[in-house]
Amino acid sequence: MDDLPPMLRHAFADLSVGMQAEFTRRISSEDLEMFRRFSGDDNPLHCDAGYARERGFPDRVVYGMLTASYFSTLVGMYLPGENALFHGLQVDFVKPVFPGDTLSVHGKVVAVDERFQRIEIRGTIRNQEGSKVCRAKIFAGVTDGA
Amino acid sequence: MTREEIFDTVREIFRDVFDDEELDVVDSTNADDIEDWDSLNHINLVSAIEKACDIRFALGELQALKDVGEMITLIEQKSNG
Repeated sequence: MDDLPPMLRHAFADLSVGMQAEFTRRISSEDLEMFRRFSGDDNPLHCDAGYARERGFPDRVVYGMLTASYFSTLVGMYLPGENALFHGLQVDFVKPVFPGDTLSVHGKVVAVDERFQRIEIRGTIRNQEGSKVCRAKIFAGVTDGA
Repeated sequence: MTREEIFDTVREIFRDVFDDEELDVVDSTNADDIEDWDSLNHINLVSAIEKACDIRFALGELQALKDVGEMITLIEQKSNG
């Protein structure tokens, strides 16, 4: 598993529109297998390379929700980090992801609402070729640090 | 905007946020009447209304509201003030 940069601990007052964070993850076959086991999603598109090829894909297709799980990492580790409380997201899976792909996960704060101590983030995930594979509008509360 | 126009706008926003085209919204409607009117959907409602009506609520104003009728009155004051 790739090493991730250390977790950040932004307080709400530290956050502003335009703040960004980014990290990279390589998706392995083991990641798919772990996701299959804990989610129970045995759809052959994700588990059977022959089945996926019959449907026009070069390999098994990575679970969209596995890819989107990196938005949890983005929020919980970096934007804002430890003080995050994930409120929700709207996500689109715009291109398939395959085992072995290296994903760059990027987030940018686009709104800060002091009334609700909540931020809105535009999330983008690109593959190693720079193609956007996933995008999301993310909403996160920011708790007061200890 | 007239009160009726504001009500029509707010009713559409409620139906969109709660994903219910049949949702009946009247002056006395409050969070007890709509199961999904929780804290997160309250933020979604406020954000959508602010955008549609080009206004901004203060936190204290929001906390004082008891039902949709009071919300409509507040929007009326802000959009016509």
